[in-house]
Amino acid sequence: MAQVGGTKPKQEPRKRAKGDCCCNTHSVPAEITLLLNTLRELAAIRSTAEDAAARILDSAEGLLALADKEEAKKAEDAIMSIMTACGFDDLVGQRVTKITATLDKVIATRLNGEELDQPNGPAAEIELDGPSLPGGGHDQARIDLLFSKKN
Amino acid sequence: MALGPSVPVLVVDDYKTMIRIICNLLKQLGFANVDEANDGTAALNMMREKDYGLIISDWNMEPMTGYELLREVRADDRLSRTPFIMVTAESKTDNVIAAKKAGVNNYIVKPFNAATLKSKIDAIFGDAA
Repeated sequence: MAQVGGTKPKQEPRKRAKGDCCCNTHSVPAEITLLLNTLRELAAIRSTAEDAAARILDSAEGLLALADKEEAKKAEDAIMSIMTACGFDDLVGQRVTKITATLDKVIATRLNGEELDQPNGPAAEIELDGPSLPGGGHDQARIDLLFSKKN
Repeated sequence: MALGPSVPVLVVDDYKTMIRIICNLLKQLGFANVDEANDGTAALNMMREKDYGLIISDWNMEPMTGYELLREVRADDRLSRTPFIMVTAESKTDNVIAAKKAGVNNYIVKPFNAATLKSKIDAIFGDAA
């Protein structure tokens, strides 16, 4: 049977690329670091989309079960859940924008034959980094805790 | 302005999907007077033309971010008391603290659900009542 979304294919072990470092004593070139971060972003995109798809399917199945019943409130809640799950579109868009900007930078540097430098301009007042990778940033409960503290 | 579902609400986000989602949730919560803006500059112009009882804004927008919009609102005598909820994917401590210091009333991290949005709105209206 053909697979229909959500099933993860087995991943082949990634072959070591030329320039990969096998110890912690050498500094990793900035370009490789950017590309590795890009791979992590791609993995996060896949995870976000898969999670959202699962929520959409859960809600749709819930709607199907209610279809022949007059349980309007439950149907309404399920529809709201479907709508909020579609917020993945925003998060995927932000991650893809970050990846595109990174790849544009790598490509431009390659074309100019220059080393990829870290930004040396004035730092922004508050850095915007978009959606965090799994394990980074805070969830809503932690943010609520930060908000509950006095200054 | 009396706070409750009858107040005009302004939703600010540069992503159409997110505006649709928040507007639909607000309608389900009983808010019938909901306007939308695609960035901070447009939102500020709308706020100077119409009295809003609640602003729900994204952070990462151009040319004016939600954070800059918040600071403009808090610095404006006529707008400074308008309840302001930030709804954003920015979830680092620095961002949350900066928004709090700038006077945001509540902070929702994406992805969020209907119950979270309702609880934050209820908290604001409860505080103001």
